[in-house]
Amino acid sequence: MSQLVPAIGFGLITASILAIAAVGFTLQFSVTNILNLAYGDVMTASAFAAYIANHAGVDIWLSLLMAALFGAVFSMLLNRFVYFQFVRRGTRLFGMIIVTIAMSLIIQNVLLAVFRPTFFSYEVSASASYTFAGMILTGSQLAIMGIAVVAMVSVHLLSTRTRLGKAMRATATNPGLARSCGVATDRVIDVAWLLSGALCGIAGVVLVLNTATFSEVTGANFLVPIIAAAVLGGIGQPYGAMLGAVTIGLASEVAASVINPSYKDVVAFAILIVVLLVRPQGILSEVASGKEVAA
Amino acid sequence: MAVAFVVTVAACGSTTQSATPKTYTGTLTFASFNPFTGPDASFGPEMQAGCIVAAHLINKAGGVLGHQVQCITVDTRGDPADAVPAAQKMIATTSNLVGMNGPSSDEAQATVPIINRAHIPMFADTGQAAFDKNSNDYFWRLTPPDDAAGIAMAIYAYRKGYRRGAAVFGSDLSSQSNVPTLVSTFKKLGGQIVLNQSLALDQSSYRSEVQAAVAANPDVIFTEADPQTDAAYLSQLQQLHGLIPVIGTEPTIQPAWIKAVGGAIGKANLAQIYAAAQPYAPSQGPAWKVFNTELLASASEIPQPDQWAQDPYTQTDYDAIVTMALAMIMANTPDPSFFNQQIANVVADSPGATEVHSYQEGKDALAAGKKIHYVGAGGPIVLDKYHNSSGAFQVAGYATDGSNPQLDIVSAADIAKYA
Repeated sequence: MSQLVPAIGFGLITASILAIAAVGFTLQFSVTNILNLAYGDVMTASAFAAYIANHAGVDIWLSLLMAALFGAVFSMLLNRFVYFQFVRRGTRLFGMIIVTIAMSLIIQNVLLAVFRPTFFSYEVSASASYTFAGMILTGSQLAIMGIAVVAMVSVHLLSTRTRLGKAMRATATNPGLARSCGVATDRVIDVAWLLSGALCGIAGVVLVLNTATFSEVTGANFLVPIIAAAVLGGIGQPYGAMLGAVTIGLASEVAASVINPSYKDVVAFAILIVVLLVRPQGILSEVASGKEVAA
Repeated sequence: MAVAFVVTVAACGSTTQSATPKTYTGTLTFASFNPFTGPDASFGPEMQAGCIVAAHLINKAGGVLGHQVQCITVDTRGDPADAVPAAQKMIATTSNLVGMNGPSSDEAQATVPIINRAHIPMFADTGQAAFDKNSNDYFWRLTPPDDAAGIAMAIYAYRKGYRRGAAVFGSDLSSQSNVPTLVSTFKKLGGQIVLNQSLALDQSSYRSEVQAAVAANPDVIFTEADPQTDAAYLSQLQQLHGLIPVIGTEPTIQPAWIKAVGGAIGKANLAQIYAAAQPYAPSQGPAWKVFNTELLASASEIPQPDQWAQDPYTQTDYDAIVTMALAMIMANTPDPSFFNQQIANVVADSPGATEVHSYQEGKDALAAGKKIHYVGAGGPIVLDKYHNSSGAFQVAGYATDGSNPQLDIVSAADIAKYA
């Protein structure tokens, strides 16, 4: 019991990283219906962009913003120059999954060729630790949680309070009808990739801040929990992804504290399976499989 | 009819040695069959460095029985699911494959029988105790098993005065094989294992695991996990509690692990807390000088060659290739089915044998009609009837200039007491 409360605190940190990544992942999916399995590799590429900036003397938090910008542009270009070419030729949902897996391998191997098979760390000054109700958190971890909250609130406001948000929701629901109603769906899709990529870039950097070191496969290793969080909440539902991230993050940390830590993933995914058995579409979602692919 | 059936089945079930050796034309190939990608990606380059150095020296000496030799890499990805097809492809498609280094612990159980059936001599770097009483004719091992590493770690920790140990190992097979003897030896010595954690690899957070370790109040952490896992674990330990002395295994002394963990917790901090038990290689003497000179001259093929100069695995991988080449000369054929039987004779310290320290010396001695006793870069090789040669362990630390100063030696006799 004495380890349970700290574990909840640790779970919130994991949930924060997962939430940023999963919301970015699902936001793009909701608009385009492309299950982008290269998402983790874009996270890694963004982490490398921040690494280059950081080792050129740029502060890590400014480097994080640069990684967000890199992730946004990279993701949009990835869609424009690769995914869109396949969608235009009529490639459907499962074909696109194979294309994204191919891109994942290409990005990983390009990173491997450029940066060589070794490990990298950011230059980050040590931050003080704070204790709240038995939970121990460092300044960096509080910053990560703060970034997650700001990102989630921003996504919420964008989605509910802006014309762009409405256009994105319309495109997500029915791209053909949205086009007929005058929504510039091509621009909306570009913006969706930009936003998703920015969150992806941020997630890549905060993940590395948490793991302290990274290589060309770090983001790809984190992809399964991201997808699990997105699926648990209901794929295509940003609020569901937030809920899924909290569930997976807390479950894995609490499991590590009360049972054998090597089973932490098993517990998290057992919860995923149980939820999907009860509610196959996820906690908050409609079924996405009937939608057309749009890029 | 029945007899014919039995003969046919027997023929299908085993490969038999032909009466005459196969004829080889062209370059002979040695494979480095190890992980080059995945969590244990550091193993492969370490092995290939030894092979390249040996191949250079063999070719400079005129080759083996008129053949030049070459080294190829076969990536097992550290996973039996990838390693088995990789082994099958290697055997089926590599022309003039006459020997190999590997496999590692990650894939040994799955691939040793396949390679053995193909009659390819393999000098494995697996540490699995399952091979301590190996029965595969083509399996050889020049480094101590992992269970011996666990014993060496426990003895060193006890000598240092540590009495409360936490075993924090990756959940992978290779890492876990150190744990049973570590735990039993530390207890026999009078220490207490206060926590035995098996870590899921490459997680974003180990804080709950660290919290459990802190609560157990160990005075030393024993570890082997992939670089990213240990880096995350130890950096989070540093954040939540402060660092605790760490004793690792040989994989933790690899450049990739040192870079990852040193980057995560700071090199100066790592230097203060770190020690690792690795097979003892003296890194001196005539055989090592030959190896080291050629290693340092091989920068065009081996990135940063000096990083392998004191590496016991690179040295024994080099010795393995030299031993096989000398065995070919003794058998007068590169056919593995014939020269495999000569491998033990190359390294045996038999009466009247001439001690040789390089391929060139061995080749010259054999040409002069002498028996040889090859003493390698990794020191003398004493093979038992199970084709295993183990020995002492060296405990090395880490200095911020990148070197690994020797802290202690755990003798083979000390290890044998607890084996």
